[in-house]
Amino acid sequence: MRPSTLARLRAAAACAGFVALCAYPIAVTNPYYARIGGLVLLSAISASAWNIVGGYAGQVSIGHSMFFGLGAYLPLVLYSNWQLPPTLGVPMGILLAVFLAVLVGFPAFRLQGHYFSMATIAVAELIRLLVSNWDLFGAAIGVRGPAVSRTVWDFAFRSVVPYYYLFLAGLAAVLGTTRLIERSRMGYYLRAIKSGEGAARSLGVPSRRYKLYALMVSAAFASLAGSFYALWIGFADTSSTLGILVSVEMVIVTALGGAGTLYGPLIGALILIPLQNFSNVLFGAGGTGLTFLMYGGIIVIISRFEPGGLVHLWQHRLRPLIRSA
Amino acid sequence: MLLRAEGISMNFGGFTAVAGASLEIEPGEIVGIIGPNGAGKSTFFGCLVGDLKATAGQVRFLDHEVTHRSPEHHARLGMARTFQVPQTFEDLTVLENVMVGALLRHPRAAEARRFAQGLLEFAGLAGAAANKAGSLGTPGRKRLEIARALATEPKLLLLDEALAGLTPTEIHTAIELVRAIHARGIALVIIEHIMEVIVTLAQRVIVFNQGKIIAGGLPGNVMRDEQVVAAYLGSHGRRARVPFDA
Repeated sequence: MRPSTLARLRAAAACAGFVALCAYPIAVTNPYYARIGGLVLLSAISASAWNIVGGYAGQVSIGHSMFFGLGAYLPLVLYSNWQLPPTLGVPMGILLAVFLAVLVGFPAFRLQGHYFSMATIAVAELIRLLVSNWDLFGAAIGVRGPAVSRTVWDFAFRSVVPYYYLFLAGLAAVLGTTRLIERSRMGYYLRAIKSGEGAARSLGVPSRRYKLYALMVSAAFASLAGSFYALWIGFADTSSTLGILVSVEMVIVTALGGAGTLYGPLIGALILIPLQNFSNVLFGAGGTGLTFLMYGGIIVIISRFEPGGLVHLWQHRLRPLIRSA
Repeated sequence: MLLRAEGISMNFGGFTAVAGASLEIEPGEIVGIIGPNGAGKSTFFGCLVGDLKATAGQVRFLDHEVTHRSPEHHARLGMARTFQVPQTFEDLTVLENVMVGALLRHPRAAEARRFAQGLLEFAGLAGAAANKAGSLGTPGRKRLEIARALATEPKLLLLDEALAGLTPTEIHTAIELVRAIHARGIALVIIEHIMEVIVTLAQRVIVFNQGKIIAGGLPGNVMRDEQVVAAYLGSHGRRARVPFDA
């Protein structure tokens, strides 16, 4: 197949994908499937956020639940304690997440590789334990949002459709930001740091500062994803927003699609989230823990056969195959 | 004075790798550092470029005290280096590798790309610009490291065995490249095992043995120094066996 034909096919596929994403909640009226659409977008946002620091800069955080959880808790804490509109918590969550990123990143980025990952797990677990014992944050019970919208600022709807489009806008924002970073000095610096920090520093890359920038941007969008989750579900507790599984999901989704690629996290979410939900339905309560099993399986398969994820598989194995056909 | 290192010592635990080594480099000079394995050359090199923080002594570069500053600070001031084992960014293309260096003084990606393309021509790598750096062989990687270091527009370039592991023909082209770099007005420090390279390139040589500088001066004179011969061959080596025909 000629490269130009392939490029046209690719453009057509991108257009079709975009239209499908936009039309999905209108075309699919079944609430179960509509809900899966919302979950896919949420996962795509948080995984894309993780991708900035974990994929591009290669700093594998397994503690991103701390940012997601912060974003999820803040709107609901504001509502349940002081009856403030939850949407007020969204920008506050982002600001606090960026602040937390600096606080955690500053010492943690002195560590390399697995040690950095372990440090992020430790901080995230610490925060989870703190929140689960703190009455202001609903302690072990969790916090709720408004059941019905008092004003538009409560952003509480019965239908998934308004949320879906809000999430779509959020996804566009994180992907747009990633694209900007990718094409700028920061993108080159992050990829250089991932490939060899010592060499990057010898070329004048202030690596700790750039890793911190990446974590700050990443934390902001992870917090946004958490806030979106809270606005939609209207409830947050420690296991659903601060548990380690929240962090691990971001890693797995990104790794499956392709870490360090723009659309990798979206592709990963499109595959993994429906799979997760169907397996839940199929196996019901007896299948609790099946998610872990699936994550484990995916880790093994990706790291053994295609560490670059599906995007890499397409670029390096399948596309050459089609080209030669 | 471009670089002035005075009384540099480096201890690892109880082991002294470098003891009181000093070196001065004028702008536009080529200085060779030689010595047997484990003599302390690479440790000294590490202290100069900011990889290691010397336990004693002082390094000044362009009148800035840099002894305990980070490698990136050295690069900003105008000191560039290559690695003994090439550390090219394997997942980036050859052009992108050089761009990372160029972005130091050209913050806009488009400008950095243009500047990097010029350097690839200079280093004879233009044909491979779009390939992943991981696809290059050893000579290509060494060239790429040099091009990438030059992209930071250094005043002093330190080469850590940049020519080791090359065939004689490759060494010849590499020597031409080093000469072309020197013609650009960049001072060079070359650590090398291959005597031919040092003799052809360096204006001045310092010799390390057991952590100390044992000789320094014109390459020809240094090679005939008794101490240097003894360091390489042992003190009972016969004079007739002197291998350096300089």
